[in-house]
Amino acid sequence: MKTTVISESSNGALHPVTAQLVGAASPLGGQITVICPGGVGSSDAAHISGVSKVISVEGDCFETYDCLAWSKSLSPLVEGDLILSSSSAIGRELISSIAASKGIPVVQDVISLTDGFSATRTIYSGKAIEEVSISPPCAISLRANSFESAGEGGSAETTTVDVSQEVSVAVKRALARASERLDVSEADIIISGGRGMGDPANFSHLNEVADVLGAAVGASRAAVDTWDEIPHSMQVGQTGKTVTPNLYIAVGISGAIQHLAGMRSSKFILAINKDPEAPIFGVADYGIVSTWEDALPVLKDHLAELMSN
Amino acid sequence: MGVAVLLKQVPDTTAKIGISGGRVDESSITKWSISPYDEYALENAIKLKESGHGDVVAITCGPARAAKCLTEAAAVGADRLIHILTESSLDSIQVQSLLSAAVKESGCDVVMCGKQAADTNSGSTGPGLASSLGFSCVGGVTGVSMEGDVASATRLGPSGLEEVEVGVPCVFTFDKGDTELRRPNVRGIMMAKKKPIDSLTPDDLGVDASNSKVSIKSHSSPPKKQPGQKFVGSESVPEVVNKLREEANVI
Amino acid sequence: MAYEALDFYDIDSLLTEEERMVRDMVRDWVEDRVLPNIEDACRDGVFPDEWRVEIGEMGILGAPLKGYGCPGLSYIAYGLICQELERGDSGVRSFASVQGSLAMYPIWDFGSEEQKEKYLPGMAKGDLVGCFGLTEPDYGSNPGDMITRAEDKGGHFLLNGAKMWITNGTIADLAVVWAKLEGEIRGFIVEKGDEGFSAPEMKGKHSLKASVTSELVFQDCKIPKDRILPDVKGLRGPFSCLNNARFGISWGAVGAAQSCFNSAREYALSRIQFGHPIASFQLVQNKLSWMLREITKGQLLAYHIGKKKDDGSWIPEQISLAKMNNVDMALEIARMSRDIHGANGILDEYPVMRHMANLESVKTYEGTHDIHNLILGRHITGIQSFTREP
Ligand SMILES: Cc1cc2nc3c(=O)[nH]c(=O)nc-3n(C[C@H](O)[C@H](O)[C@H](O)COP(=O)(O)OP(=O)(O)OC[C@H]3O[C@@H](n4cnc5c(N)ncnc54)[C@H](O)[C@@H]3O)c2cc1C
Ligand SMILES: Cc1cc2nc3c(=O)[nH]c(=O)nc-3n(C[C@H](O)[C@H](O)[C@H](O)COP(=O)(O)OP(=O)(O)OC[C@H]3O[C@@H](n4cnc5c(N)ncnc54)[C@H](O)[C@@H]3O)c2cc1C
Repeated sequence: MKTTVISESSNGALHPVTAQLVGAASPLGGQITVICPGGVGSSDAAHISGVSKVISVEGDCFETYDCLAWSKSLSPLVEGDLILSSSSAIGRELISSIAASKGIPVVQDVISLTDGFSATRTIYSGKAIEEVSISPPCAISLRANSFESAGEGGSAETTTVDVSQEVSVAVKRALARASERLDVSEADIIISGGRGMGDPANFSHLNEVADVLGAAVGASRAAVDTWDEIPHSMQVGQTGKTVTPNLYIAVGISGAIQHLAGMRSSKFILAINKDPEAPIFGVADYGIVSTWEDALPVLKDHLAELMSN
Repeated sequence: MGVAVLLKQVPDTTAKIGISGGRVDESSITKWSISPYDEYALENAIKLKESGHGDVVAITCGPARAAKCLTEAAAVGADRLIHILTESSLDSIQVQSLLSAAVKESGCDVVMCGKQAADTNSGSTGPGLASSLGFSCVGGVTGVSMEGDVASATRLGPSGLEEVEVGVPCVFTFDKGDTELRRPNVRGIMMAKKKPIDSLTPDDLGVDASNSKVSIKSHSSPPKKQPGQKFVGSESVPEVVNKLREEANVI
Repeated sequence: MAYEALDFYDIDSLLTEEERMVRDMVRDWVEDRVLPNIEDACRDGVFPDEWRVEIGEMGILGAPLKGYGCPGLSYIAYGLICQELERGDSGVRSFASVQGSLAMYPIWDFGSEEQKEKYLPGMAKGDLVGCFGLTEPDYGSNPGDMITRAEDKGGHFLLNGAKMWITNGTIADLAVVWAKLEGEIRGFIVEKGDEGFSAPEMKGKHSLKASVTSELVFQDCKIPKDRILPDVKGLRGPFSCLNNARFGISWGAVGAAQSCFNSAREYALSRIQFGHPIASFQLVQNKLSWMLREITKGQLLAYHIGKKKDDGSWIPEQISLAKMNNVDMALEIARMSRDIHGANGILDEYPVMRHMANLESVKTYEGTHDIHNLILGRHITGIQSFTREP
């Protein structure tokens, strides 16, 4: 049994999900090789426990992202019964391309994996769970935070190869920075404020949390109606937008039926409200009875800490 | 010349999904639609055709019911319709082999599809197809325009929204962006009804559609949500943040 | 929440693919364009001009007419279009009914070749808007006694009189006007800008607020000789138009009722009183099941008369029955739905009060509810009871 893990990077460093990929592969036994596109994070990868070999793949083509060029450079170095990547946008593209070049099947966004291989994933936007068996050799992308990270303490041997391929996708210019805030109808995470925010200027505290999470900022109708600064496009609810994010954070929102109509199908709901009797707690998976003044700064700090490792 | 657009038929995102006997019960699904990201691909394919890049060839792979997406595509301007008729569930290599045979047959040098389909949310088809055809691939684009054989596309890359240039042949996978979908009209619908659909079997395309390497063992309903947990005071925030990651798996 | 149209008896499975595609196209348009803007349109008392353009682009005007740039769809498809438009608002359906069944149809059936070529292609695209002038201030249910007159002046006709309650009047490029020529009812095409013709808008409606309603005034209105509809004389002219429009209304009313039912169901499931959703109380369930029952019957009536329109085996009395039944049913459902919504039911946040007010007009125009009773009464007994004279 041989596994090749394609490492994930962000901001020029190894992304922590890489250790989770190794963590998922370890129980399956055998040798684990980590391939680092562009050489990013190869020394950190070598320290993940359970890794037998790291291949740092350098080359000009890794300066910008070109799926075909990357996959052509990596593909000859990838071997074994199982190829793993993260299910980020680039992770999915790369592993599909590599799998296709090797003529092996790929299964994406898997949340559990056992010997053999048997994998589960959610389908129909989370309305059902599918368990599949996949005959090796095969490629699988894993959802972040679904697997235990492998610990540190490894000392794998690292080889560096330079295999640049011709780049066909040229980046001409940047149009907008990645951090531009999303619309509530598009976001996976939404943080909304209500009348309890007291003043529209206090929405800046929601913005700060949103920036940490890459979330969109929404509002209750009371907030939209009371304050001109809060546009109707932010309103969630029966007469606003209906949203189904993975996480909905309601701050200073009482949870009127018309508000619930727009957000109760969110996968997880976190409510922060100073009134323990507020109806929003009836639909919240996690409720924090506190003023936002107390809770939001702590929330921001802890999220920032968590997101950075 | 020509744009091939790949359309997958999926349960409408509003449809309820019933499960019986360990399998999704397809008969309980009342509405099937073109997968939403594929609709953006279709719209952009028609725009490219209007700017002079040949005909739009709409291709779908799926059972008999999937023909409906081809007729819908024709109603808004697809010129040729290819239906690869498959009944059993296929693995990614099989799907890509079928589609790449159809794309080759169509002679198109630009392929457009959604960045992922709304049923499995996989996103394997575009990049996999590009690799097996030896086409370049640009993922997650929101718009494409062409000048001769060079396309320029807007994509959401790792460092934000950027404009990239790429030569044909190329596969583009689409994200939503601010693309506005065109509405069909009665004339389009009447013409679509008359447009022939080329139905091809895997045999016709020389692809073995048996022996999928990926087989479905079971479908089940997602676990019921745990009852809500309530915490008092801002001191509980760290604990809740941990639960968001460990229990809920949402951050 | 996505709109799921009530279809308890699976009428959907009886439709052709083309009919379903047309229905979905109009449904999506209503969802995208009408529902988000209808309350503003009502508040301002306007029929937004972009709706005219977009309805024209969809190519649904004059749905069942063939040739001259008209769509040539089945009557079932026409019915479905009316159903979806009226699920949005009766005013939007009125625009399409008047244009297609009351203005395009008489030109298509009774017009000269030149008239058809001149008007129909532009009307089918929505570039030209038509209206239908039959009702007068003093003659509503009995249009046969109308006083608007046309005189043959050799080189032209001269029109004198006034029409009232004319949908689309002020925004129309042409009016199909019924007037007496030598004592006999004839159809005339009057164009915007014709000398002696004006179409002031009527204000102050509590119903069909997003529809334009006007007077048509003819003061020595001079029109060329080629504007008379050559092929029809007497009440048969306007009545044939009404048959088509009434047919459309029988479907449209189903759409309005579906909208009210949908809103009532959702509201009843989410509104908690006495610790439980009101949908769990038997009295509320009784109301919902009554709505389901009545809408389902109305759908079957509309579908069946649509099939008969398509194969030509219908009689006008059957259309009268469908119009009066379905509008009556929709109005009762709107009222009951309003009741289920409690106080919220009177707000413009919910569609029900608007449908209810609209349906009061729909009950009256195209033959009042009771006029249809009299039509059926005459059919059953052979005795007319419109007037006391023999
Ligand atoms: C037909 C109709 C349609 C409607 N549509 C919508 C809609 O689309 N969307 C919508 O949101 N509403 C809608 N509403 C309005 C809805 O009924 C409520 O009025 C609204 O949601 C209340 O907003 P809120 O929760 O922000 O305000 P409130 O109900 O006033 O709640 C404020 C909350 O903030 C808490 N709070 C106060 N100070 C603090 C603090 N310092 N820290 C933490 N918590 C604090 C309070 O305990 C309270 O629970 C609709 C109403 C109607 C009738
Ligand atoms: C919003 C709106 C739009 C309209 N658009 C148009 C249009 O585009 N073109 C057009 O020509 N007209 C249009 N109309 C006019 C409509 O067709 C007439 O209002 C309708 O024919 C009824 O006429 P009336 O209002 O004069 O009522 P009346 O005929 O005066 O009837 C009043 C009442 O008396 C009853 N009644 C009358 N006669 C009898 C009888 N013999 N026995 C028992 N009961 C009787 C009626 O049922 C009714 O209840 C429109 C009306 C409205 C409200």
